[in-house]
Amino acid sequence: MEIQIKNLAKTYGEKKVLDIESLNLEREKITGIIGPNGSGKSTLLNIIAGLDDKYDGQVLYNGELIDSDIRKKMTLVFQKAYLFKRTVYKNIAYPLEVRGVKEEKIKQKVLELLKILEIEDLKMKIGSKLSGGETQKVALARGLVFNPELLLLDEPTSNIDPEYIEHMEKAILKYNKENKGTVIIVTHNINQAKRLCDNIIKLERGRVIN
Amino acid sequence: MDYILDGFKQAINLIISFNKEIFDIVFLSLFVSTTATVLASMISIPLGISFGIKKFRGKRLFSRITYTMMSIPSVVVGLLVAITLSRRGPFGRLELLYTTKAMIIAQTFLVMPLSFGLSFGLSKSRGKEIQKVAITLGANKYQSIMLIIRELKVDILVNVATSFSRAISEVGAVMIVGGNIKYHTRVITTTISMMNSMGDYPMAIALGIILLLISFIVHSAIYSYSKED
Ligand SMILES: Nc1ncnc2c1ncn2[C@@H]1O[C@H](COP(=O)(O)OP(=O)(O)OP(=O)(O)O)[C@@H](O)[C@H]1O
Ligand SMILES: [Mg+2]
Repeated sequence: MEIQIKNLAKTYGEKKVLDIESLNLEREKITGIIGPNGSGKSTLLNIIAGLDDKYDGQVLYNGELIDSDIRKKMTLVFQKAYLFKRTVYKNIAYPLEVRGVKEEKIKQKVLELLKILEIEDLKMKIGSKLSGGETQKVALARGLVFNPELLLLDEPTSNIDPEYIEHMEKAILKYNKENKGTVIIVTHNINQAKRLCDNIIKLERGRVIN
Repeated sequence: MDYILDGFKQAINLIISFNKEIFDIVFLSLFVSTTATVLASMISIPLGISFGIKKFRGKRLFSRITYTMMSIPSVVVGLLVAITLSRRGPFGRLELLYTTKAMIIAQTFLVMPLSFGLSFGLSKSRGKEIQKVAITLGANKYQSIMLIIRELKVDILVNVATSFSRAISEVGAVMIVGGNIKYHTRVITTTISMMNSMGDYPMAIALGIILLLISFIVHSAIYSYSKED
């Protein structure tokens, strides 16, 4: 999915937290967003995800304004992921359940993702009781499970140990290659951005800098 | 002072001998208040949750009015329901006044604002986050609300218990629309009030003890369930 941003401005009270004249995010590519704390990265992702409509300017998805169809084709994995008070299996199954996918198919997809992310041992644990890193793994699996056209990731590996980060990056790359998924990833890890991304955008005080 | 101690002794006797009159009264109370709580909860909880996550003009004023309505006096609700159901009232033809149904209606209206307000507050503070996650995962409005209810089910159960406690312990509404008719519309609270004015303490004390016991059981059940969650 291609994202076009035009004259985007977002303010909290007096403070302007986003000010982007024009920005295009290419389809089927992985775009990294980097920048210091408070530079507006999460705010931008929230706006693209359609969770915040209090802004000036335009965000276009394949040239169109957001609607419920577009909403259903994308997902955002939050910086502080929230898992439901149900098993990890049920957490990952949720996006498929709300789309009315058949039980058999759901099982197959969920087991596949548990395997890709090597979290089969978490399957029957309660989502809300997992550790920070475990939560991030499950949240990524839940975002990938329905093959969204656009995947928005807000620091998805901030709590993950170094050895495991590779797994998550592999899963993201696999999704990008095999499903032609567009990815926008916020990260503080410049090496990760270099490993994963086709393009890198730098934000500073709400502005895109080169 | 002896008559107090005596009253307690006789009250205990009445309870352990399973006095029929007492237990009929207790069962009617449980039936009326449980039905009213279930009806009110089924309407008010989904409504409260959906208003809590909705953005709309005047939400602050709406909140304040809601919270005021939560403590609406039971006699006021009783009076309003009685007027509506009275022979000359708009629903007079149904001849519901002084029946069990009238008591259920009155208590339903009594706890609806309470149940609504509690769910509304809960959803306002904690429903937003869950709704955001639901939206990003593709849920529609109905699915989001069901998810919020399931995620907050312990707090919602506490709301239901609070509503039930309010219903079973109120006297004003059932007194006005039920009339405290023997073997017919006499519930725990109306009986206590009447027995007290007649000076029949043992029966009043026995019912008071049972009322406390019911409340204790309900809240213990909720407490142990919430610890499991
Ligand atoms: N609800 C809010 N009300 C007021 N100000 C806010 C709100 N949310 C964010 N801000 C402010 O907007 C700015 C951008 O926040 P944002 O969360 O987008 O930063 P970020 O780039 O994601 O930072 P981090 O790297 O720490 O996650 C910050 O200065 C923050 O304080
Ligand atoms: Mg952030």
